[in-house]
Amino acid sequence: MHMADALLSPAVGGTLWAVSGGLIAFCARKVKQTMQDHLVPLMGVMGAFVFAGQMINFSIPGTGSSGHLCGGLMLAILLGPWAAFLVIASILTIQSLFFADGGVLALGCNIFNMGFLPVFVAYPLYKLITKGRHGSPLAWAASIVSAVIGLVLGAFGVVLETTASGISELPFGSFVLVMLPIHLAIGLVEGLATATVVSFVFRARPEILQAEPEAGIRIRPILVGLAVAALVIGGAFSWFASTHPDGLEWSVVRVSGSEEVAGSNAEIHQHLAGFQRKVAFLPDYGFKAGEAEEEACDAWPSVSAGATVSGLVGGSLTLGLVVLTGLALRLRPVRQAK
Amino acid sequence: MSIPAVAVYDLSYAYPDGTEALRGITFTVEPGLAVALVGANGAGKSTLLQHLNGGLFNARQGEVRIGETVVSRKSVSLVRHAVGMVFQDSDDQLFMPTVAEDVAFGPLNAGLSSEEVERRVESALERVGMTQVRERPPYRLSAGEKRAVAIASVLAMEPEVLVMDEPSANLDPRARRRLIELLRSFGHTRIIATHDLELAVEVCSRVIVLDEGRVVADGPMVGILNDEALMEEHGLERPHILRHMHPHT
Amino acid sequence: MRLADWTEIGRMDELGRMDSPVHRLDPRAKVLVSLVFIVLVMSFPRYEISALVPFLFYPVGLIALARIPMRHIMKKMLIAAPFALLIGLVNPLFDRQPMCSVGPLELSGGWVSFISILFRFVLTVSAALALVAGTGMYRLGAGLERLGLPRVFAMQLLFLYRYLFVISDEAARIMRGVRLRSVGSGALGLRVYGSLVGQLLLRSMDRADRIYQAMVARGFDGEIRLLQQSVPGWCDAVFAGCSLILLGAARVWNLSDLLGIWLAGGVS
Ligand SMILES: Nc1ncnc2c1ncn2[C@@H]1O[C@H](COP(=O)(O)OP(=O)(O)O)[C@@H](O)[C@H]1O
Ligand SMILES: [Mg+2]
Repeated sequence: MHMADALLSPAVGGTLWAVSGGLIAFCARKVKQTMQDHLVPLMGVMGAFVFAGQMINFSIPGTGSSGHLCGGLMLAILLGPWAAFLVIASILTIQSLFFADGGVLALGCNIFNMGFLPVFVAYPLYKLITKGRHGSPLAWAASIVSAVIGLVLGAFGVVLETTASGISELPFGSFVLVMLPIHLAIGLVEGLATATVVSFVFRARPEILQAEPEAGIRIRPILVGLAVAALVIGGAFSWFASTHPDGLEWSVVRVSGSEEVAGSNAEIHQHLAGFQRKVAFLPDYGFKAGEAEEEACDAWPSVSAGATVSGLVGGSLTLGLVVLTGLALRLRPVRQAK
Repeated sequence: MSIPAVAVYDLSYAYPDGTEALRGITFTVEPGLAVALVGANGAGKSTLLQHLNGGLFNARQGEVRIGETVVSRKSVSLVRHAVGMVFQDSDDQLFMPTVAEDVAFGPLNAGLSSEEVERRVESALERVGMTQVRERPPYRLSAGEKRAVAIASVLAMEPEVLVMDEPSANLDPRARRRLIELLRSFGHTRIIATHDLELAVEVCSRVIVLDEGRVVADGPMVGILNDEALMEEHGLERPHILRHMHPHT
Repeated sequence: MRLADWTEIGRMDELGRMDSPVHRLDPRAKVLVSLVFIVLVMSFPRYEISALVPFLFYPVGLIALARIPMRHIMKKMLIAAPFALLIGLVNPLFDRQPMCSVGPLELSGGWVSFISILFRFVLTVSAALALVAGTGMYRLGAGLERLGLPRVFAMQLLFLYRYLFVISDEAARIMRGVRLRSVGSGALGLRVYGSLVGQLLLRSMDRADRIYQAMVARGFDGEIRLLQQSVPGWCDAVFAGCSLILLGAARVWNLSDLLGIWLAGGVS
């Protein structure tokens, strides 16, 4: 699931941009260091393959629906983690630029959720379990388990990032409850598809999989990387938490006299919130946006009706001006394209 | 007598999986000559061409010379600049994002100045009549245009020898006709692997027939292609065009 | 990735190769301004709507000047909308504090923030699409590389883009072959799926190998060099400078509000 720009605060988006950007630079250096010149065209073509492979669907056993390969784990198995991470990052870049999948600010989050987690968490797990015995029943299990873990972690990332941004009102716990089962299912499909393709390749051309893409990843640097990432993200989180201890939740309860406001929907909310209190390790903590918003929140009740009206009138007028400008610019005589 | 542009002595090569693709090939080509390399699928044509361009020299036996240079690990970059290779599938050869970048790829690798690179790109594209597609991405070109640009990308390196693998494959009749005219107009030493015997007859004066990694015939075009028994034995067909060209039929 | 998506990429690619004042700008200037634009838009508090309106000028200006069909951008936005829409729609459920009234209609905070989310979505997505459609992938990639994106990454990104169509043609051929021989729906059994995708994979790897051969044949030594790009001119500087100043002003002052107040003052 792609994280979307509209739900993201610049601080969270920026933090993950920095993390993912650093990872790209790091992996690019690693690829360069291994001095495998053939890797650059191979990476590009494999990225294209992942795109194209999504045209081919298979029917998911036991259901009426069909699925396809997302490719993160697959790429790591074929190219090794460094190159695979770069390929996934460029796939996500193309998706965000051409299909507005996610968006530019959210790209950092998406690269982290769908690149870092599958490649540097799920893939080492896969390697640990299979120990090179591709195509064995063990490898099938490994591929399913690690794909599920990769996707669920990714979904968890989306939830954390959304909550930390505080743009969406959706409580952390209920969001988790919605996202996890979906991604559990997607992970199963992904693991199955990966295992099928890998075992085909293993039967047809075993040398491709046996030639270890590089010396292999050492677990320690990755754990260190994870720890650093966790620290950075945790730091960002606690910064939000401290600048905004109670968030809007509290103010809503205070202002509206809490439960009575909402009818049947509040019941759902309560239900979910109750469940969430039991399940979530983070309480429903309103990590809401930065200071600017705090001012706005405080300012809102005291805003005079006049200001709202002026905003409305001015906004509509500006909108009109935008449309006019667009039309005017378009009416220029067409210069012949070369 | 001048030094041959290309000389191959007793060249043998087996792929890592054990396939013996070449078994003791020997021939020489004089400068400026056009030679056709014919033979059934799997005869070893593509493998031979790769050796001429400095590929696969790791596990080979025998010797390949380009002019005075013996192809070896040390001389390989020199050889790659002297021998331009046009690949069978243009999509494999045109890997850069625009035609201009692609044609500039070789000259830039040679470390030429940017003015010189620009001059070469321009003149190579002009030579094949493709200046108008300069800024286009390769995947937007027709098969014929792709082939022409692929040839330009090799010409821009100003090689002495041109090596081509099935240049007329997948071309429509008009594009094929233009390719033939283009190939005829070159003064380079040309070695052209092809199934298109009519192209071979029009462009080349000499033919080498390969079968199972061996040279089974080598000589003037017309004589060999008219030898129906030989042609049939090695899985080839006598080209129609010769029936009109040769007085003895 | 459905077939329609491929035609979409093709369409964007065509737009990116047109010629217009926007296309002629240095890609780096456009990337820089677009990034600043997106960050500024996202930095507004979540109940903000009116101050976001003036930001529309930027994408609309780009799209109009680059002669990108507005319909095309709109269509793409509609396709991309569901996730933001879905998550945004939750806000009115949870945040019911009345916030402002428009005539008889009372808007809760949730609705205001939902509209704000939609607005941000429209702004950031249209800006990003305008950037790509008004620059083209190749110029964008080369520009990013010059902005400091690691070269290995930039190059394989361009390779990916270059071979998207080639590999997808191969995938389409494989699928055609399957359809000819099978009856019923397009979805395949797992075993057949594995061998088809596996074959596509092997073919792709073989192709990568041939590409590498072709690169080596033309003197590739591990370093990919690009042609000299144009140097940024005063046009680019003016574009970047003016855009940044205007965007900054729109972030600091609520221009819509000011316009409204000024008009109200003028009337009364
Ligand atoms: N990469 C490879 N690995 C193993 N065998 C190969 C490879 N490429 C070609 N061959 C084999 O080498 C022989 C010669 O192939 P090739 O030179 O491509 O022939 P031609 O171009 O004349 O059709 C064939 O038997 C072919 O199967
Ligand atoms: Mg061949």
